Amino acid sequence: MNLSIGATLFDKNPSKALQLRELLLRGLLSFSAIISICVTLGIVYILSTEAFLFFSSGEVSLLEFFSSIEWQPVIDKFGILPLLNSTLMTSFIAMLVAGPLGIFAAIYMSEYASNNFKARVKPILEILAGIPTIVYGYFALTFITPFLKNIFGHDVVDVYNTASAGIAMGILIFPMIASMSEDALSAVPSGLRQAAYGLGATKLEVSTGIIVPSAISGIMAAFIVGLSRAVGETMIVALAAGAGSNFTFNPFKSAETMTGYIARISGGDIGYDTVDYNSIFAIGIFLFIITLVLNIISQKIIGRYREIYD
Amino acid sequence: MILVSVSAIFAGGDKESSNSENNAVNSWILAESDDSILPGINPLEVKGTISAAGSSTVFPLSERMIERFKNEGYSDNITLDSIGSGAGFERWAVQAESDISNASRPIKDKEIAAARGNGREPIEFRLGTDALAVVINPANDFVTNVTLEELALIFSTAKKWSEVNSTWPNEDIKRYIPGTDSGTFDYFVEEVFGKDKEPMLSAANTQLSEDDNILVRGVEGDKYAIGFFGYAYYAENSDKLNVLSIEGVEPGSATVDNATYPLARPVFMYSSANIMQEKPQVAAFIAYYLTYVNEEIRDVGYFPAGKADLDKAKMNWIKAMEGKL
Repeated sequence: MNLSIGATLFDKNPSKALQLRELLLRGLLSFSAIISICVTLGIVYILSTEAFLFFSSGEVSLLEFFSSIEWQPVIDKFGILPLLNSTLMTSFIAMLVAGPLGIFAAIYMSEYASNNFKARVKPILEILAGIPTIVYGYFALTFITPFLKNIFGHDVVDVYNTASAGIAMGILIFPMIASMSEDALSAVPSGLRQAAYGLGATKLEVSTGIIVPSAISGIMAAFIVGLSRAVGETMIVALAAGAGSNFTFNPFKSAETMTGYIARISGGDIGYDTVDYNSIFAIGIFLFIITLVLNIISQKIIGRYREIYD
Repeated sequence: MILVSVSAIFAGGDKESSNSENNAVNSWILAESDDSILPGINPLEVKGTISAAGSSTVFPLSERMIERFKNEGYSDNITLDSIGSGAGFERWAVQAESDISNASRPIKDKEIAAARGNGREPIEFRLGTDALAVVINPANDFVTNVTLEELALIFSTAKKWSEVNSTWPNEDIKRYIPGTDSGTFDYFVEEVFGKDKEPMLSAANTQLSEDDNILVRGVEGDKYAIGFFGYAYYAENSDKLNVLSIEGVEPGSATVDNATYPLARPVFMYSSANIMQEKPQVAAFIAYYLTYVNEEIRDVGYFPAGKADLDKAKMNWIKAMEGKL
């Protein structure tokens, strides 16, 4: 019935063919939406059942999983903390790079750059986000790591280290944050700008005092999306961060992340129903929960701090 | 970790493939042979795809033999995956997907059982000998030789070099070792730690990878690093790495041939009679491999097996093909 409303606006007697077309289109669209939900549910189902196998095997308790600082499933050491710590370190370093760069680039593009310049630069930034992550991985390994070694000393910086992986990830994420923040800044109504200029504010005062606070919900959401991208990023850390779990806060030491472990272990053909095999699902569901929580937080932030202009 | 596939252009479905089934199955057998035991192989007549997977140690050798097989006329597809011996057996014995399993350790009992469960009776083919290379960074000037006991300390409880030998520097040992799916890992654990994985896996600063090139890169980039892998990976990177003597014996042709190098070990390929009979291309490839392996093996960075061992592998082939030749 809803379908026909659009048609009836223009035509009091919509033809059968038109109705059928509307119906088909509606079917196709809802099918696509349902598929995406089904895939998500399927992933959650597989992750949970396999993770359940892991925890019910009797070889590992939840307490050990979240408190031990050693991870080596082959010899029954199941503490996720070293992997989690390393994931948080690389993500934190990535945000350290991508956060300021992203927001500054966004302010520049939104408030300072000419429209012409913006139209040229934004696509280039987006290309940066389209570079395959394995390229970033090798960039970290063959450029950033030697660079860090030259600055901080060859004996201080490991060949595989979380800093280089984090920096490369920051470069990967920065265009995304810049682009999303720029959208948020541009969405601030120009009446606010004009009013501030009218009161005699300088460009800097307008940008930092009016525009950024007004768009803060969009900017924070961009940060959190960037962070969840960093947590889930795999190829860069698998190549550059190291291939052995290590509980350390030193960014120049190698330490394997959660995603890096999953990539390394599933690269070979591991036997089903082995502890190694099931452990990757336990890590997988944990990763899933982290990104889910981050996404929920970002939704809440958008809802809560959003300034609505009509 | 990294899957590497060697593949050729798929041969077109022309008349050759259709009438090969009518001809004798083994049209690839030549009247004359370069080998005293095996029949001669004509790679031009070998049709059908072959899949091999397993040890990263065996990988460079198999890669070379496949290249030669193709240069001499084989035009179908061979896939060769470098995934570790354990993973290779998982694929060959448990999943029953591959035709050939490459291994840098003998097949284990439970893998034999799994293979039998899939109707595959494993046949072992000795290919040659590897001198497991323990390597250090060229800038490391304090160690050139280690005993097996020192080796055990270096790869387990010692955190710093000075804890192994007081004249060595007070610096962290950075360890780069093959992953737990690797036959090289299993072999090292068996030789150096008497089959106990725990000490090596519990050691600090340990990087594990199924990809030997990651280990090479790690040792290459760190003065206080140490690692081990198949000799071919050292031979290929001898300008970037130094190899240690073990118990005063340097790995190399002479010490492998006279059996003095303590970490010399056999490398293998496994298949089964039913695979070889159902897929004659697999049998042809194995026969070709065994016939010419000694002409290539030193160049790849490994060492020929003794004549008796290689002859036994060839006899295994003859037995497997009994009634089909």
